[in-house]
Amino acid sequence: MLLDAGTIQVGSEQLEVSWFLLLAAALFVLGAIGVLIRRNPLVMLICIELMLNAVNLTLVAFARQLNNREGQLFALMTMTVAAAEAVVGLAILVDIFRVRDLEDVDDLSELKG
Amino acid sequence: MGPATLVFWIASLFALGGGLGVVLFKQAIRNVLSLVVVMLSLAVLFLLLSAQFVFAVQVIVYAGAVMVLFLFVITLLGPVREQSTMRLPWQVFISAVVIAGFAGFLVAMLRGVTYRTPDAADPLFGTVQAIGAGLFTDYLFPFELTSILLLVAAVGAIYLSRGPR
Repeated sequence: MLLDAGTIQVGSEQLEVSWFLLLAAALFVLGAIGVLIRRNPLVMLICIELMLNAVNLTLVAFARQLNNREGQLFALMTMTVAAAEAVVGLAILVDIFRVRDLEDVDDLSELKG
Repeated sequence: MGPATLVFWIASLFALGGGLGVVLFKQAIRNVLSLVVVMLSLAVLFLLLSAQFVFAVQVIVYAGAVMVLFLFVITLLGPVREQSTMRLPWQVFISAVVIAGFAGFLVAMLRGVTYRTPDAADPLFGTVQAIGAGLFTDYLFPFELTSILLLVAAVGAIYLSRGPR
């Protein structure tokens, strides 16, 4: 196995924790790719949500492996922060779209020095 | 291969497919629906990791509320024309290099972790009782801070979207 993160017992089976960790890393990298190559601000927000979800999977997997509730509590905190981020980000987007027809995040470069 | 392994592989296939959809689809509505697929498959994985309360919150808050918010904004704004051409020269190439380095960094970091010995198994692990006891005893202060954070976010969203002034 690529990582040696131990196993967890589910029913009568042993699952490798590293499967969960690698899946979370893959999802996080997919979200990062989306933020880098997409130009639509709405889609970039969606990709940020994807990255936050991948982090949640890592937290819950470690919580399960270490029998530690703090991981799950922190995943809940992450969800709260993600919800707040989505609300404020979407409100800013709606405000910008009301003022003008935006096609690309690069159109928002007036504040560039 | 037992049922738990099977559930894991099916859910992770759906999650990866949904993640690809989030990045690759050109219409924003399809991106959002792909993200719903990812969130529901992650909820299944949370259940597999015996995090029942996180599972419920993921389905209700994330796949329910946050995604409905995204759908509302998409219907409000109408179709957005996204320019297919990249503004920066070599943007795809630079992105690929950055992402490859970043993925290597993530895997190297995960490999370098030394794991401490697990705590004693708790029969209530992940249940609403365990989470609630944690939130209202040891983590009461951060829990109250999140309510302030949500209040600030709600007020800020209402202020930002209140219309022309």
